[in-house]
Amino acid sequence: MSEVYIERGVALLGAILVGVTAIVQLKNDWAAHGLDASVTKLLLGLMALGCVLALLAAVNVLGARA
Amino acid sequence: MHAGTSTTHDAHDVHDHIHPPPEGFVRKYVFSLDHKVIGFQYFFTGLLIMFIAGSFAELVRLQLTDPKGAIMSHQAYNTMFTMHGTAMVWLVLIPLVTGALGNFVMPLQIGARDVAFPWLNMASFWILPLAALILFSSLLFGGPHAGWTEYPPISLADGTAGALWCAAIFTIGISSTMTGLNFMVTIMKMRAPGMTWTRMPLFVWATFATALMNMIATVALSAAVGALFLEHVFNVPFYDAARGGSAVLYEHMFWFYSHPAVYIFIIPAFGVVSEVIPTFSRKPIFGYKMIAFSSMAIAILAFTVWAHHMFPSGLAPWLQLPFMILTYAIGIPTGIKIFSWMATLWGGRIHFTTSMLYALGFLITFTFGGITGVFLASVPVDLHAHGTYFVVGHFHYVVAGGAVMGFLAAIPYWYPKATGRMLSERLGQLGFWLFFIGLNGTFLPMHWLGLEGMPRRYASYVDFAKAVPDAVFWNQFETAFSFLMMASIGLLAFNVIWSLRHGKVAGINPWGARTLEWTISSPPPYYNFKKVPEVYGRPYDFDKPLPYRNTDNELDAFPEYGKTVMPTPQPVGAGV
Amino acid sequence: MAAAAVQHLAGHEAVAARYRDVDRAYGETRDLRLLGFMFFLVSDCILFSSFIFAYVYLRVSAPTWPPIVDGHQLPWFDTSFAAMNSVVLFGSGVTMHFALENWKHLNTRKFNGWLIATIVLGIGFLLGQAHEYSVVNISWQGSTMGASFFTLTGMHGFHVFIGVCYLAILGIQANRGVYTSSKYFGLTAGTLYWHFVDVIWVALFSLFYLW
Repeated sequence: MSEVYIERGVALLGAILVGVTAIVQLKNDWAAHGLDASVTKLLLGLMALGCVLALLAAVNVLGARA
Repeated sequence: MHAGTSTTHDAHDVHDHIHPPPEGFVRKYVFSLDHKVIGFQYFFTGLLIMFIAGSFAELVRLQLTDPKGAIMSHQAYNTMFTMHGTAMVWLVLIPLVTGALGNFVMPLQIGARDVAFPWLNMASFWILPLAALILFSSLLFGGPHAGWTEYPPISLADGTAGALWCAAIFTIGISSTMTGLNFMVTIMKMRAPGMTWTRMPLFVWATFATALMNMIATVALSAAVGALFLEHVFNVPFYDAARGGSAVLYEHMFWFYSHPAVYIFIIPAFGVVSEVIPTFSRKPIFGYKMIAFSSMAIAILAFTVWAHHMFPSGLAPWLQLPFMILTYAIGIPTGIKIFSWMATLWGGRIHFTTSMLYALGFLITFTFGGITGVFLASVPVDLHAHGTYFVVGHFHYVVAGGAVMGFLAAIPYWYPKATGRMLSERLGQLGFWLFFIGLNGTFLPMHWLGLEGMPRRYASYVDFAKAVPDAVFWNQFETAFSFLMMASIGLLAFNVIWSLRHGKVAGINPWGARTLEWTISSPPPYYNFKKVPEVYGRPYDFDKPLPYRNTDNELDAFPEYGKTVMPTPQPVGAGV
Repeated sequence: MAAAAVQHLAGHEAVAARYRDVDRAYGETRDLRLLGFMFFLVSDCILFSSFIFAYVYLRVSAPTWPPIVDGHQLPWFDTSFAAMNSVVLFGSGVTMHFALENWKHLNTRKFNGWLIATIVLGIGFLLGQAHEYSVVNISWQGSTMGASFFTLTGMHGFHVFIGVCYLAILGIQANRGVYTSSKYFGLTAGTLYWHFVDVIWVALFSLFYLW
């Protein structure tokens, strides 16, 4: 079962790294306007949500348990 | 976007047109980027397929002259009505009303030189013959049998023909989606300076609502038939109940598209009627904003009513009630339009041209079809009438009496602009009466036959003919009248070709109409507008001067401009 | 000095005006393409939504989930691996964002680095999907679960594949000087597409692995 823990560990660390970066980018871009900027903000926000979900999955809160 | 900002830079000049003048036969007429030529291509392709699909309908009608089935096997009959419905809906009506009319008229009416993505427009058109080939090639494999809706599980028995049907619909769906996207961007971004949303001609509003539905709904259909294709070819269980799939799922996905599809045909027809009626009544349109916004209301409500096609499919009762109420609600914006057109006619100086006759006929037949639609929206009535000819009658009153009538009103109206010649009025009016009488003679008896219980989609009706002896007479009556419609369409095709050489020269503005396309020469040059016009008001105020500035000085080169049925108002500041 | 500069400018007034026109024409074309591209994403989103609707419909109307095939209940998907693979894809979204930011600041070297990182992560995700397909214990034809899983993730994988090719082409174009620091609509579109594919995966990940 060690494989599972490696996978979950990578997912956990990666989700924190990517999620924090995405949120920082979102904050940097917050003032930008225009259609592409607004849509980028929306998509980045949803991606950050995805990171949160991956994190919760990695720590056994969501999805099939390990 | 550019509402009210009047920018006339030199860069807007003709040589900054999005594509250079076409050279050579292929660039000019085959792989043309010009929206007008593409409109013509759609028109002639659609008309050709209309003859094929119409012949299928005539075979269906001939079969029904005898209760036992007069001319073909039951299997062949199923193929015929399936192909008739499929080809008419996807290869004739949608290409004709969006592809032909929308392409030709919409960019001219907003003062644009072309649509936003000319290349995409060309690709959209060339997908249509491809889809037609795929669809008709399914006849080689026995043809699809399950009706134009191709409900599983019956359609799963169609084998290769069913798979080809799915492929054809998926392909034409790509074309519709691209056209919708293209028109959305064109209308949102490429209107002439000063043409605000509430100064757009009503046909443009209608095209916008249609494009929105084309773009959003068609993809859902692509998903539905895509999954059906996977089930046909790879045996993937989406709809097969034996393996956990659900046939009702297909119905949901199919009707989520196909209910809006009905409005995709009909809303451009509304747009045509909204142009024709004020022009030939010489009165401002009554309730401009109400007509414009009700188009959008219909487009949005269209996405909320799909399950009324599924009342007999075992839909949960708590779902039936909201769908019934929402379907009734669609009657409100539609009624607003009907009353606005009637109020426009009221007290107007009505000119009974061919276009106007078709528009008036549209008011009668479409309203009739709309009212029987309200009957069918009611769950108890629908449960009784759903499987009968009542539904066939209702649908054809809406589609043939609504969408096709609107389309036929558009042909004589814009033909002079497109070709520089007038269609023959005599032939046109004869064609109108043939079509109008044929339509009512064919589809009106279906209503009472349906209420007496004649089932639809049956190749023979021996038992029903025993129970209702009149049925044979009425079916023969319908068949006889259906040939009048066919004759009318044949007359139209003859008229279109004959008038290319022999029609009266039209000039710039034969009808004294006021939208932007009537300020440029007929036929328009490939760049449409030499100078981009500026718009100062709505196009329908017949008692005021034209609300345009910076219109093409080509007007001066045409002495016949102004010699129309009605004195044409001068552009703003023309005499200064 | 200043007067000479003004005279110099005036001498090139026509050229400058022409450049303004080119810029404005570019701006108008960019507006059209951007809106058209957004509408393309909307329609693509509806394509995915329709299949997601099919999946949800089949799932909630099934008596048991995972469905029972031949007397055996199918297994759940492996959340651990999918979570890791998702993070790979999300990471590629962030690197693509960095690539575009660097392009705006004319930092071509960093742009190239981040773009290559994006492509590598994208390919990594595809390899992960391939691994997932090889170990997952259900078949496309066997059940509604397999039908919706393979159709949806296959469509998404196809989008990722197209995206990887698209980004590679954009990288080649950028290095050949097709884009400038102010005119780079292709890169914007590529970034939007890539983010869009990521976000579709958020939905698929939650629906297949977390629900």
